[in-house]
Amino acid sequence: MNQRSTVAVLGAGTMGSGIATVMSRAGYRTLFYDVDEANLRRGVAGVNGFFDRSVSLGKLDREQALEAKTKLVGVTELREIADADVIVEAVFENLALKKEIFALLDEIISTSALIHTNTSTLSVTAIASGSRHPERVVGTHYCNPAPLMKLVEVANGRHTADWAHKATVGFLGSLGKTTVVTKDRPGFIVNRFLIPWENRCIAALESGLGTTESIDAAVTGALGHPMGPFRLLDIVGLDIHQQVATRLYEQLRDPRFFPPPMVERMVAAGDLGRKTGRGFYTYDDTRLFGS
Amino acid sequence: MIDSHLDFARTGVVGFGTMGAGIAQVVARSGRAVTVLDLDAGRLETGLAAVRTFLDGGVARGKLTENERDAVLGRITGTTDVHDLAGAELVIEAATENSGTKREILARVTAEAGDSAVIVTNTSALSVTDLATALPRPERFAGLHFFNPAQLMRVVEVVRALQTDESVVERLVSLVESFGKDAVVVKDRPGFLVNHLVMPYLNDVIQEYDDGLATAEDIDTALKLGLGYKLGPLELLDLIGLDVHDHATTSAYEATRDPAYASPPLLRQMVAAGHHGTKNGRGFRAGQVPA
Repeated sequence: MNQRSTVAVLGAGTMGSGIATVMSRAGYRTLFYDVDEANLRRGVAGVNGFFDRSVSLGKLDREQALEAKTKLVGVTELREIADADVIVEAVFENLALKKEIFALLDEIISTSALIHTNTSTLSVTAIASGSRHPERVVGTHYCNPAPLMKLVEVANGRHTADWAHKATVGFLGSLGKTTVVTKDRPGFIVNRFLIPWENRCIAALESGLGTTESIDAAVTGALGHPMGPFRLLDIVGLDIHQQVATRLYEQLRDPRFFPPPMVERMVAAGDLGRKTGRGFYTYDDTRLFGS
Repeated sequence: MIDSHLDFARTGVVGFGTMGAGIAQVVARSGRAVTVLDLDAGRLETGLAAVRTFLDGGVARGKLTENERDAVLGRITGTTDVHDLAGAELVIEAATENSGTKREILARVTAEAGDSAVIVTNTSALSVTDLATALPRPERFAGLHFFNPAQLMRVVEVVRALQTDESVVERLVSLVESFGKDAVVVKDRPGFLVNHLVMPYLNDVIQEYDDGLATAEDIDTALKLGLGYKLGPLELLDLIGLDVHDHATTSAYEATRDPAYASPPLLRQMVAAGHHGTKNGRGFRAGQVPA
Protein backbone atom coordinates (compact mmCIF):
# COMPACT_ATOMS: atom_id res chain seq x y z
CA MET A 1 0.00 0.00 0.00
CA ASN A 2 2.67 2.46 1.02
CA GLN A 3 5.16 1.32 -1.61
CA ARG A 4 4.54 4.28 -3.87
CA SER A 5 7.78 5.04 -5.68
CA THR A 6 6.84 6.80 -8.92
CA VAL A 7 5.09 10.13 -9.16
CA ALA A 8 3.84 11.98 -12.25
CA VAL A 9 3.58 15.75 -12.26
CA LEU A 10 1.39 17.17 -15.03
CA GLY A 11 2.14 20.70 -16.19
CA ALA A 12 5.56 22.36 -16.24
CA GLY A 13 4.55 25.86 -15.18
CA THR A 14 5.63 27.54 -11.94
CA MET A 15 3.61 25.28 -9.64
CA GLY A 16 4.30 22.08 -11.59
CA SER A 17 8.04 22.77 -11.60
CA GLY A 18 7.99 23.52 -7.87
CA ILE A 19 6.09 20.32 -7.14
CA ALA A 20 8.40 18.25 -9.38
CA THR A 21 11.31 19.70 -7.41
CA VAL A 22 9.72 18.56 -4.14
CA MET A 23 9.05 15.03 -5.50
CA SER A 24 12.51 14.40 -6.96
CA ARG A 25 14.20 15.85 -3.87
CA ALA A 26 12.16 13.47 -1.67
CA GLY A 27 13.54 10.51 -3.68
CA TYR A 28 10.55 9.69 -5.89
CA ARG A 29 11.09 8.82 -9.52
CA THR A 30 9.34 11.83 -11.04
CA LEU A 31 7.72 11.73 -14.48
CA PHE A 32 7.41 15.37 -15.41
CA TYR A 33 4.85 15.88 -18.18
CA ASP A 34 3.99 18.83 -20.38
CA VAL A 35 2.36 18.65 -23.79
CA ASP A 36 4.57 21.53 -24.97
CA GLU A 37 8.22 20.58 -25.37
CA ALA A 38 9.53 24.11 -24.86
CA ASN A 39 7.54 24.42 -21.62
CA LEU A 40 8.88 21.10 -20.45
CA ARG A 41 12.48 22.13 -21.20
CA ARG A 42 12.00 25.34 -19.22
CA GLY A 43 10.44 23.40 -16.35
CA VAL A 44 13.26 20.81 -16.22
CA ALA A 45 15.83 23.61 -16.35
CA GLY A 46 13.99 25.29 -13.47
CA VAL A 47 14.12 22.17 -11.32
CA ASN A 48 17.81 21.54 -12.07
CA GLY A 49 18.57 25.21 -11.47
CA PHE A 50 16.94 24.98 -8.06
CA PHE A 51 19.17 22.04 -7.11
CA ASP A 52 22.30 23.85 -8.39
CA ARG A 53 21.45 26.90 -6.26
CA SER A 54 20.82 24.66 -3.26
CA VAL A 55 24.36 23.31 -3.70
CA SER A 56 25.89 26.77 -3.97
CA LEU A 57 23.94 27.86 -0.87
CA GLY A 58 25.23 24.81 1.00
CA LYS A 59 21.70 23.38 1.50
CA LEU A 60 22.50 20.25 -0.50
CA ASP A 61 25.76 18.46 -1.29
CA ARG A 62 26.72 17.59 -4.88
CA GLU A 63 25.80 13.92 -4.58
CA GLN A 64 22.34 14.74 -3.21
CA ALA A 65 21.73 17.23 -6.02
CA LEU A 66 22.87 14.72 -8.66
CA GLU A 67 20.68 12.00 -7.10
CA ALA A 68 17.64 14.31 -7.17
CA LYS A 69 18.30 15.33 -10.78
CA THR A 70 18.51 11.70 -11.94
CA LYS A 71 15.06 11.10 -10.43
CA LEU A 72 13.51 13.60 -12.83
CA VAL A 73 12.33 12.34 -16.22
CA GLY A 74 10.69 14.76 -18.66
CA VAL A 75 7.94 13.35 -20.89
CA THR A 76 5.67 14.89 -23.52
CA GLU A 77 3.38 11.89 -24.09
CA LEU A 78 0.74 11.28 -21.45
CA ARG A 79 0.93 7.48 -21.89
CA GLU A 80 4.51 7.60 -20.58
CA ILE A 81 3.20 8.20 -17.06
CA ALA A 82 1.32 4.86 -17.05
CA ASP A 83 3.23 3.32 -14.13
CA ALA A 84 2.91 6.32 -11.78
CA ASP A 85 1.60 5.55 -8.28
CA VAL A 86 0.64 9.17 -7.62
CA ILE A 87 -0.40 11.68 -10.27
CA VAL A 88 -0.26 15.38 -9.37
CA GLU A 89 -2.15 17.51 -11.86
CA ALA A 90 -0.84 21.10 -11.98
CA VAL A 91 -1.95 22.39 -15.37
CA PHE A 92 -3.58 25.79 -16.00
CA GLU A 93 -6.34 26.82 -13.62
CA ASN A 94 -9.07 25.95 -16.12
CA LEU A 95 -11.84 23.54 -15.19
CA ALA A 96 -12.51 22.23 -18.73
CA LEU A 97 -8.81 21.53 -19.30
CA LYS A 98 -8.39 19.78 -15.96
CA LYS A 99 -11.47 17.60 -16.53
CA GLU A 100 -10.25 16.72 -20.03
CA ILE A 101 -6.89 15.55 -18.65
CA PHE A 102 -8.60 13.50 -15.96
CA ALA A 103 -10.70 11.75 -18.61
CA LEU A 104 -7.53 10.92 -20.57
CA LEU A 105 -5.92 9.54 -17.39
CA ASP A 106 -8.78 7.02 -17.07
CA GLU A 107 -7.37 5.13 -20.06
CA ILE A 108 -3.74 5.25 -18.95
CA ILE A 109 -3.08 5.01 -15.22
CA SER A 110 -3.22 2.03 -12.89
CA THR A 111 -6.37 1.32 -10.91
CA SER A 112 -4.57 1.86 -7.61
CA ALA A 113 -2.99 5.25 -8.41
CA LEU A 114 -3.83 8.30 -6.32
CA ILE A 115 -4.90 11.32 -8.35
CA HIS A 116 -4.09 14.74 -6.91
CA THR A 117 -5.19 18.09 -8.26
CA ASN A 118 -3.28 21.25 -7.35
CA THR A 119 -5.99 23.85 -7.69
CA SER A 120 -6.25 27.10 -5.77
CA THR A 121 -9.69 28.33 -6.80
CA LEU A 122 -11.60 25.50 -8.49
CA SER A 123 -13.79 22.90 -6.82
CA VAL A 124 -12.12 19.52 -6.25
CA THR A 125 -15.51 17.88 -6.75
CA ALA A 126 -15.96 19.59 -10.12
CA ILE A 127 -12.47 18.57 -11.31
CA ALA A 128 -12.98 15.00 -10.07
CA SER A 129 -16.20 14.75 -12.09
CA GLY A 130 -13.97 14.47 -15.16
CA SER A 131 -12.60 11.15 -13.89
CA ARG A 132 -14.24 7.73 -13.77
CA HIS A 133 -12.51 7.33 -10.38
CA PRO A 134 -13.56 10.34 -8.30
CA GLU A 135 -13.04 8.26 -5.15
CA ARG A 136 -9.28 8.44 -5.79
CA VAL A 137 -9.16 12.18 -6.52
CA VAL A 138 -7.91 14.46 -3.71
CA GLY A 139 -7.24 18.21 -3.78
CA THR A 140 -3.68 19.08 -2.71
CA HIS A 141 -3.01 22.80 -2.77
CA TYR A 142 0.70 23.65 -2.57
CA CYS A 143 1.94 27.17 -1.80
CA ASN A 144 4.30 29.04 -4.09
CA PRO A 145 7.30 28.50 -4.07
CA ALA A 146 6.48 24.83 -3.43
CA PRO A 147 10.04 23.68 -2.57
CA LEU A 148 10.29 26.28 0.22
CA MET A 149 6.76 26.39 1.64
CA LYS A 150 5.86 23.59 4.04
CA LEU A 151 2.09 23.93 3.83
CA VAL A 152 -0.22 21.80 1.71
CA GLU A 153 -4.01 22.19 2.03
CA VAL A 154 -5.82 18.88 1.55
CA ALA A 155 -9.45 18.92 0.40
CA ASN A 156 -11.67 15.96 -0.37
CA GLY A 157 -14.22 16.07 -3.17
CA ARG A 158 -17.70 14.78 -2.46
CA HIS A 159 -16.77 11.28 -3.65
CA THR A 160 -13.22 11.01 -2.30
CA ALA A 161 -12.70 7.72 -0.45
CA ASP A 162 -11.40 7.77 3.09
CA TRP A 163 -8.47 5.48 2.16
CA ALA A 164 -7.44 7.89 -0.61
CA HIS A 165 -7.53 10.82 1.83
CA LYS A 166 -5.44 8.96 4.42
CA ALA A 167 -2.94 7.74 1.80
CA THR A 168 -2.62 11.33 0.55
CA VAL A 169 -1.87 12.75 4.00
CA GLY A 170 0.72 9.98 4.51
CA PHE A 171 2.29 10.65 1.12
CA LEU A 172 2.55 14.42 1.76
CA GLY A 173 4.17 13.63 5.11
CA SER A 174 6.84 11.62 3.25
CA LEU A 175 7.63 14.84 1.33
CA GLY A 176 8.24 16.70 4.59
CA LYS A 177 5.09 18.77 4.15
CA THR A 178 2.69 19.88 6.90
CA THR A 179 -0.91 19.19 5.91
CA VAL A 180 -4.11 20.87 6.98
CA VAL A 181 -7.51 19.43 6.12
CA THR A 182 -10.12 21.75 4.68
CA LYS A 183 -13.56 21.45 3.13
CA ASP A 184 -13.86 21.73 -0.66
CA ARG A 185 -14.92 25.38 -0.55
CA PRO A 186 -13.70 28.28 -2.72
CA GLY A 187 -10.24 29.42 -1.60
CA PHE A 188 -9.82 26.61 0.95
CA ILE A 189 -8.26 28.25 4.04
CA VAL A 190 -5.41 30.55 2.99
CA ASN A 191 -6.97 32.25 -0.05
CA ARG A 192 -10.39 32.26 1.61
CA PHE A 193 -9.04 34.68 4.22
CA LEU A 194 -6.17 36.31 2.33
CA ILE A 195 -8.20 37.66 -0.60
CA PRO A 196 -10.79 39.68 1.40
CA TRP A 197 -7.99 40.87 3.69
CA GLU A 198 -5.93 42.17 0.76
CA ASN A 199 -9.01 43.72 -0.84
CA ARG A 200 -9.85 45.55 2.39
CA CYS A 201 -6.29 46.89 2.65
CA ILE A 202 -6.45 48.13 -0.97
CA ALA A 203 -9.84 49.74 -0.30
CA ALA A 204 -8.43 51.46 2.81
CA LEU A 205 -5.59 52.84 0.71
CA GLU A 206 -8.00 54.03 -1.96
CA SER A 207 -10.22 55.75 0.59
CA GLY A 208 -7.30 57.61 2.17
CA LEU A 209 -7.15 55.83 5.53
CA GLY A 210 -3.40 55.60 5.13
CA THR A 211 -0.56 55.48 2.62
CA THR A 212 1.05 52.39 1.09
CA GLU A 213 3.92 52.80 3.55
CA SER A 214 1.83 53.61 6.65
CA ILE A 215 -0.56 50.69 6.12
CA ASP A 216 2.33 48.26 5.54
CA ALA A 217 4.10 49.62 8.66
CA ALA A 218 0.93 49.42 10.76
CA VAL A 219 0.22 45.82 9.75
CA THR A 220 3.75 44.52 10.24
CA GLY A 221 4.25 46.46 13.48
CA ALA A 222 0.88 45.76 15.11
CA LEU A 223 0.06 42.27 13.84
CA GLY A 224 3.45 40.61 13.43
CA HIS A 225 2.94 39.83 9.74
CA PRO A 226 6.27 39.25 7.96
CA MET A 227 5.38 41.85 5.32
CA GLY A 228 2.60 44.34 4.77
CA PRO A 229 -0.28 43.77 2.33
CA PHE A 230 1.20 45.90 -0.46
CA ARG A 231 4.68 44.33 -0.35
CA LEU A 232 2.96 40.95 -0.55
CA LEU A 233 0.67 41.97 -3.43
CA ASP A 234 3.69 43.22 -5.37
CA ILE A 235 5.32 39.79 -5.00
CA VAL A 236 2.14 37.84 -5.82
CA GLY A 237 1.45 40.10 -8.82
CA LEU A 238 -1.59 42.34 -9.21
CA ASP A 239 -2.77 40.32 -12.23
CA ILE A 240 -2.68 37.10 -10.22
CA HIS A 241 -4.50 38.75 -7.32
CA GLN A 242 -7.15 40.01 -9.74
CA GLN A 243 -7.63 36.54 -11.27
CA VAL A 244 -7.85 34.70 -7.96
CA ALA A 245 -10.14 37.31 -6.39
CA THR A 246 -12.43 37.40 -9.42
CA ARG A 247 -12.70 33.59 -9.55
CA LEU A 248 -13.60 33.45 -5.87
CA TYR A 249 -16.11 36.27 -6.31
CA GLU A 250 -17.75 34.44 -9.22
CA GLN A 251 -18.32 31.41 -7.00
CA LEU A 252 -19.27 33.16 -3.77
CA ARG A 253 -20.99 36.34 -5.06
CA ASP A 254 -19.75 38.04 -1.91
CA PRO A 255 -18.47 41.58 -2.66
CA ARG A 256 -15.62 41.23 -0.17
CA PHE A 257 -13.90 38.99 -2.72
CA PHE A 258 -14.22 41.37 -5.68
CA PRO A 259 -10.99 43.28 -6.38
CA PRO A 260 -11.34 47.02 -5.65
CA PRO A 261 -11.30 49.29 -8.75
CA MET A 262 -7.69 50.31 -8.09
CA VAL A 263 -6.56 46.77 -9.01
CA GLU A 264 -8.05 47.01 -12.49
CA ARG A 265 -6.35 50.37 -13.06
CA MET A 266 -2.99 49.00 -11.95
CA VAL A 267 -3.33 45.94 -14.19
CA ALA A 268 -4.40 48.12 -17.14
CA ALA A 269 -1.35 50.31 -16.60
CA GLY A 270 0.94 47.27 -16.49
CA ASP A 271 1.90 47.94 -12.87
CA LEU A 272 1.78 44.27 -11.89
CA GLY A 273 4.28 44.39 -9.03
CA ARG A 274 7.87 43.27 -8.73
CA LYS A 275 7.91 41.37 -12.00
CA THR A 276 7.30 44.57 -13.99
CA GLY A 277 9.36 46.83 -11.72
CA ARG A 278 6.32 48.75 -10.52
CA GLY A 279 3.27 47.97 -8.42
CA PHE A 280 2.45 49.68 -5.15
CA TYR A 281 6.21 50.31 -4.91
CA THR A 282 8.89 50.66 -7.58
CA TYR A 283 11.78 48.23 -7.98
CA ASP A 284 15.14 48.25 -9.71
CA ASP A 285 15.41 44.48 -9.35
CA THR A 286 12.51 42.51 -10.84
CA ARG A 287 13.69 39.09 -9.62
CA LEU A 288 11.55 37.22 -7.10
CA PHE A 289 12.83 35.23 -4.15
CA GLY A 290 16.41 36.29 -4.92
CA SER A 291 16.57 33.68 -7.68
CA MET B 1 17.56 59.50 36.43
CA ILE B 2 15.05 61.63 34.55
CA ASP B 3 15.97 63.44 31.36
CA SER B 4 14.27 66.81 31.86
CA HIS B 5 15.19 67.98 28.34
CA LEU B 6 12.75 65.54 26.81
CA ASP B 7 9.37 66.73 25.63
CA PHE B 8 6.76 65.35 28.04
CA ALA B 9 9.50 64.66 30.65
CA ARG B 10 6.77 64.28 33.27
CA THR B 11 4.03 61.96 32.16
CA GLY B 12 0.98 60.53 33.89
CA VAL B 13 -0.75 57.25 33.07
CA VAL B 14 -4.29 56.54 34.28
CA GLY B 15 -5.06 52.87 34.90
CA PHE B 16 -2.58 50.16 35.87
CA GLY B 17 -4.10 47.23 34.01
CA THR B 18 -2.30 45.31 31.23
CA MET B 19 -2.19 48.26 28.83
CA GLY B 20 -1.40 50.86 31.52
CA ALA B 21 1.51 48.78 32.82
CA GLY B 22 2.90 48.23 29.33
CA ILE B 23 2.59 51.91 28.44
CA ALA B 24 4.14 53.07 31.75
CA GLN B 25 7.12 50.81 31.10
CA VAL B 26 7.60 52.09 27.53
CA VAL B 27 7.45 55.73 28.68
CA ALA B 28 9.79 55.17 31.66
CA ARG B 29 12.24 53.29 29.44
CA SER B 30 12.53 56.44 27.28
CA GLY B 31 13.89 58.42 30.27
CA ARG B 32 10.65 60.07 31.36
CA ALA B 33 9.17 60.16 34.88
CA VAL B 34 5.84 58.33 34.99
CA THR B 35 3.15 58.69 37.64
CA VAL B 36 0.54 55.94 37.34
CA LEU B 37 -2.86 56.65 38.85
CA ASP B 38 -5.18 53.83 39.81
CA LEU B 39 -7.88 54.23 42.45
CA ASP B 40 -7.47 50.55 43.33
CA ALA B 41 -4.34 50.17 45.52
CA GLY B 42 -4.28 46.43 44.77
CA ARG B 43 -3.94 47.14 41.05
CA LEU B 44 -1.02 49.51 41.73
CA GLU B 45 0.79 46.59 43.33
CA THR B 46 0.01 44.06 40.60
CA GLY B 47 0.81 46.65 37.91
CA LEU B 48 4.23 47.44 39.36
CA ALA B 49 4.90 43.72 39.84
CA ALA B 50 4.01 43.11 36.18
CA VAL B 51 6.50 45.77 35.03
CA ARG B 52 9.20 44.29 37.27
CA THR B 53 8.56 40.76 35.99
CA PHE B 54 8.72 41.94 32.38
CA LEU B 55 12.00 43.81 33.01
CA ASP B 56 13.47 40.84 34.91
CA GLY B 57 12.79 38.73 31.83
CA GLY B 58 14.72 41.30 29.77
CA VAL B 59 17.64 41.14 32.21
CA ALA B 60 17.65 37.32 32.05
CA ARG B 61 17.80 37.45 28.24
CA GLY B 62 20.54 40.11 28.29
CA LYS B 63 18.30 42.81 26.75
CA LEU B 64 19.05 45.26 29.57
CA THR B 65 21.31 45.45 32.65
CA GLU B 66 20.17 45.27 36.26
CA ASN B 67 21.07 48.96 36.62
CA GLU B 68 18.89 49.86 33.65
CA ARG B 69 16.02 47.82 35.09
CA ASP B 70 16.34 49.60 38.43
CA ALA B 71 16.47 52.99 36.70
CA VAL B 72 13.26 52.26 34.75
CA LEU B 73 11.48 51.06 37.91
CA GLY B 74 12.80 54.14 39.75
CA ARG B 75 11.07 56.40 37.24
CA ILE B 76 7.64 54.82 37.83
CA THR B 77 5.55 55.97 40.83
CA GLY B 78 2.14 54.54 41.60
CA THR B 79 -0.53 56.65 43.27
CA THR B 80 -4.21 56.51 44.21
CA ASP B 81 -4.37 60.32 44.53
CA VAL B 82 -5.36 62.26 41.40
CA HIS B 83 -3.58 65.38 42.79
CA ASP B 84 -0.28 63.63 42.08
CA LEU B 85 -0.90 64.26 38.36
CA ALA B 86 -0.47 68.02 38.94
CA GLY B 87 2.31 69.34 36.74
CA ALA B 88 2.26 66.43 34.29
CA GLU B 89 2.92 67.61 30.72
CA LEU B 90 1.21 64.57 29.24
CA VAL B 91 -1.45 62.26 30.64
CA ILE B 92 -2.19 58.94 28.91
CA GLU B 93 -5.61 57.58 29.86
CA ALA B 94 -5.73 53.76 29.80
CA ALA B 95 -8.82 53.08 31.92
CA THR B 96 -11.77 50.77 31.25
CA GLU B 97 -13.32 50.94 27.75
CA ASN B 98 -16.45 52.73 28.90
CA SER B 99 -17.41 56.12 27.57
CA GLY B 100 -18.96 57.41 30.80
CA THR B 101 -15.99 56.32 32.93
CA LYS B 102 -13.48 57.74 30.49
CA ARG B 103 -15.27 61.10 30.19
CA GLU B 104 -15.37 61.48 33.95
CA ILE B 105 -11.69 60.56 34.34
CA LEU B 106 -10.60 62.84 31.50
CA ALA B 107 -12.40 65.87 32.99
CA ARG B 108 -10.92 65.20 36.42
CA VAL B 109 -7.39 64.61 35.15
CA THR B 110 -7.44 67.74 32.98
CA ALA B 111 -8.40 69.86 35.98
CA GLU B 112 -5.30 68.57 37.85
CA ALA B 113 -2.77 68.61 35.01
CA GLY B 114 -3.54 72.16 33.93
CA ASP B 115 -4.24 73.98 30.69
CA SER B 116 -0.94 73.39 28.94
CA ALA B 117 -0.94 69.61 29.36
CA VAL B 118 -1.61 67.28 26.45
CA ILE B 119 -4.17 64.58 27.28
CA VAL B 120 -4.44 61.40 25.23
CA THR B 121 -6.63 58.30 25.37
CA ASN B 122 -5.54 54.75 24.61
CA THR B 123 -9.06 53.75 23.57
CA SER B 124 -9.42 51.21 20.79
CA ALA B 125 -13.21 51.22 20.56
CA LEU B 126 -14.50 54.73 21.30
CA SER B 127 -14.55 57.88 19.20
CA VAL B 128 -11.70 60.20 20.15
CA THR B 129 -13.64 63.16 18.75
CA ASP B 130 -16.54 62.34 21.05
CA LEU B 131 -14.30 61.92 24.13
CA ALA B 132 -12.65 65.28 23.33
CA THR B 133 -15.95 67.03 24.09
CA ALA B 134 -15.48 66.09 27.77
CA LEU B 135 -12.42 68.39 27.96
CA PRO B 136 -12.31 72.19 28.26
CA ARG B 137 -9.42 72.32 25.72
CA PRO B 138 -10.29 69.62 23.17
CA GLU B 139 -7.58 70.86 20.79
CA ARG B 140 -4.97 69.51 23.21
CA PHE B 141 -6.51 66.02 23.12
CA ALA B 142 -5.81 63.09 20.78
CA GLY B 143 -5.75 59.29 20.68
CA LEU B 144 -2.54 57.35 21.31
CA HIS B 145 -3.39 53.74 20.54
CA PHE B 146 -0.85 51.15 21.71
CA PHE B 147 -1.11 47.47 20.79
CA ASN B 148 -0.81 44.69 23.32
CA PRO B 149 1.85 43.95 24.53
CA ALA B 150 2.82 47.63 24.36
CA GLN B 151 6.45 46.86 25.25
CA LEU B 152 6.90 44.71 22.14
CA MET B 153 4.60 45.99 19.43
CA ARG B 154 6.44 48.36 17.09
CA VAL B 155 3.50 50.51 16.05
CA VAL B 156 1.46 53.15 17.86
CA GLU B 157 -1.49 54.84 16.16
CA VAL B 158 -1.71 58.60 16.69
CA VAL B 159 -5.40 59.38 16.28
CA ARG B 160 -6.26 62.86 15.10
CA ALA B 161 -9.69 63.92 16.39
CA LEU B 162 -11.57 66.62 14.50
CA GLN B 163 -10.56 69.07 17.26
CA THR B 164 -6.89 68.06 17.63
CA ASP B 165 -4.30 70.81 17.06
CA GLU B 166 -1.70 69.89 14.41
CA SER B 167 1.19 70.77 16.77
CA VAL B 168 -0.14 68.19 19.25
CA VAL B 169 -0.10 65.53 16.53
CA GLU B 170 3.49 66.44 15.67
CA ARG B 171 4.63 66.25 19.30
CA LEU B 172 2.97 62.87 19.73
CA VAL B 173 4.64 61.51 16.59
CA SER B 174 8.03 62.61 17.99
CA LEU B 175 7.14 61.03 21.32
CA VAL B 176 6.38 57.67 19.70
CA GLU B 177 9.61 57.85 17.69
CA SER B 178 11.53 58.52 20.94
CA PHE B 179 10.20 55.13 22.14
CA GLY B 180 11.90 53.53 19.13
CA LYS B 181 8.48 52.79 17.62
CA ASP B 182 6.73 53.70 14.37
CA ALA B 183 3.97 56.31 14.63
CA VAL B 184 1.09 55.97 12.18
CA VAL B 185 -1.19 59.02 12.07
CA VAL B 186 -4.77 57.89 11.48
CA LYS B 187 -8.25 59.30 11.18
CA ASP B 188 -10.76 58.98 13.99
CA ARG B 189 -12.81 56.23 12.39
CA PRO B 190 -14.21 53.14 14.10
CA GLY B 191 -11.24 50.79 14.54
CA PHE B 192 -8.83 53.55 13.40
CA LEU B 193 -6.57 51.81 10.86
CA VAL B 194 -5.33 48.44 12.16
CA ASN B 195 -8.59 47.31 13.77
CA HIS B 196 -10.56 48.61 10.78
CA LEU B 197 -8.56 46.09 8.73
CA VAL B 198 -8.25 43.20 11.15
CA MET B 199 -11.63 42.96 12.90
CA PRO B 200 -13.61 41.88 9.81
CA TYR B 201 -10.92 39.28 9.08
CA LEU B 202 -11.16 37.87 12.60
CA ASN B 203 -14.96 37.81 12.48
CA ASP B 204 -14.83 36.05 9.12
CA VAL B 205 -12.49 33.38 10.53
CA ILE B 206 -14.78 32.78 13.52
CA GLN B 207 -17.83 32.35 11.26
CA GLU B 208 -16.04 29.96 8.87
CA TYR B 209 -14.72 27.96 11.82
CA ASP B 210 -18.27 27.73 13.17
CA ASP B 211 -19.38 26.64 9.67
CA GLY B 212 -16.91 23.74 9.78
CA LEU B 213 -14.32 24.84 7.18
CA ALA B 214 -11.50 23.21 9.19
CA THR B 215 -10.38 22.66 12.79
CA ALA B 216 -9.19 25.67 14.81
CA GLU B 217 -5.69 24.22 14.82
CA ASP B 218 -5.63 23.70 11.04
CA ILE B 219 -6.92 27.23 10.36
CA ASP B 220 -4.11 28.68 12.49
CA THR B 221 -1.49 26.35 10.98
CA ALA B 222 -2.56 27.18 7.41
CA LEU B 223 -2.29 30.95 7.90
CA LYS B 224 0.98 30.73 9.83
CA LEU B 225 2.72 28.43 7.34
CA GLY B 226 1.02 29.84 4.25
CA LEU B 227 1.53 33.53 5.04
CA GLY B 228 4.27 33.59 7.69
CA TYR B 229 2.05 35.10 10.41
CA LYS B 230 3.52 34.77 13.91
CA LEU B 231 0.09 33.88 15.29
CA GLY B 232 -2.91 32.27 13.68
CA PRO B 233 -6.18 34.24 13.86
CA LEU B 234 -7.76 32.03 16.53
CA GLU B 235 -4.63 32.08 18.71
CA LEU B 236 -4.58 35.86 18.25
CA LEU B 237 -8.22 36.13 19.35
CA ASP B 238 -7.46 34.08 22.48
CA LEU B 239 -4.59 36.44 23.26
CA ILE B 240 -6.57 39.64 22.62
CA GLY B 241 -9.38 38.29 24.81
CA LEU B 242 -12.69 37.21 23.28
CA ASP B 243 -14.58 39.70 25.46
CA VAL B 244 -12.26 42.52 24.35
CA HIS B 245 -12.63 41.67 20.65
CA ASP B 246 -16.41 41.28 21.02
CA HIS B 247 -16.67 44.70 22.64
CA ALA B 248 -14.45 46.40 20.06
CA THR B 249 -16.12 44.88 17.01
CA THR B 250 -19.62 45.52 18.42
CA SER B 251 -18.71 49.18 19.02
CA ALA B 252 -17.53 49.45 15.40
CA TYR B 253 -20.72 47.75 14.21
CA GLU B 254 -22.91 50.16 16.17
CA ALA B 255 -21.01 53.12 14.77
CA THR B 256 -21.11 51.95 11.15
CA ARG B 257 -23.84 49.28 10.80
CA ASP B 258 -21.30 47.50 8.59
CA PRO B 259 -22.05 43.75 8.84
CA ALA B 260 -18.32 42.98 8.53
CA TYR B 261 -18.08 44.18 12.15
CA ALA B 262 -21.09 42.26 13.45
CA SER B 263 -19.96 39.96 16.25
CA PRO B 264 -20.46 36.37 15.03
CA PRO B 265 -22.98 34.34 17.08
CA LEU B 266 -20.32 31.84 18.22
CA LEU B 267 -18.19 34.67 19.61
CA ARG B 268 -21.11 36.13 21.56
CA GLN B 269 -21.94 32.71 22.92
CA MET B 270 -18.37 32.06 24.00
CA VAL B 271 -18.25 35.40 25.80
CA ALA B 272 -21.61 34.69 27.45
CA ALA B 273 -20.30 31.30 28.59
CA GLY B 274 -17.27 33.00 30.14
CA HIS B 275 -14.74 31.77 27.56
CA HIS B 276 -12.46 34.80 27.42
CA GLY B 277 -9.34 33.28 25.85
CA THR B 278 -5.83 32.91 27.22
CA LYS B 279 -6.49 34.96 30.35
CA ASN B 280 -8.88 32.37 31.75
CA GLY B 281 -7.63 29.35 29.84
CA ARG B 282 -10.75 28.85 27.71
CA GLY B 283 -10.97 29.95 24.13
CA PHE B 284 -10.66 28.77 20.53
CA ARG B 285 -7.27 27.19 21.20
CA ALA B 286 -6.68 27.89 24.91
CA GLY B 287 -7.72 24.91 27.00
CA GLN B 288 -8.29 22.74 23.91
CA VAL B 289 -6.42 19.47 23.50
CA PRO B 290 -4.61 19.48 20.13
CA ALA B 291 -6.16 16.95 17.73
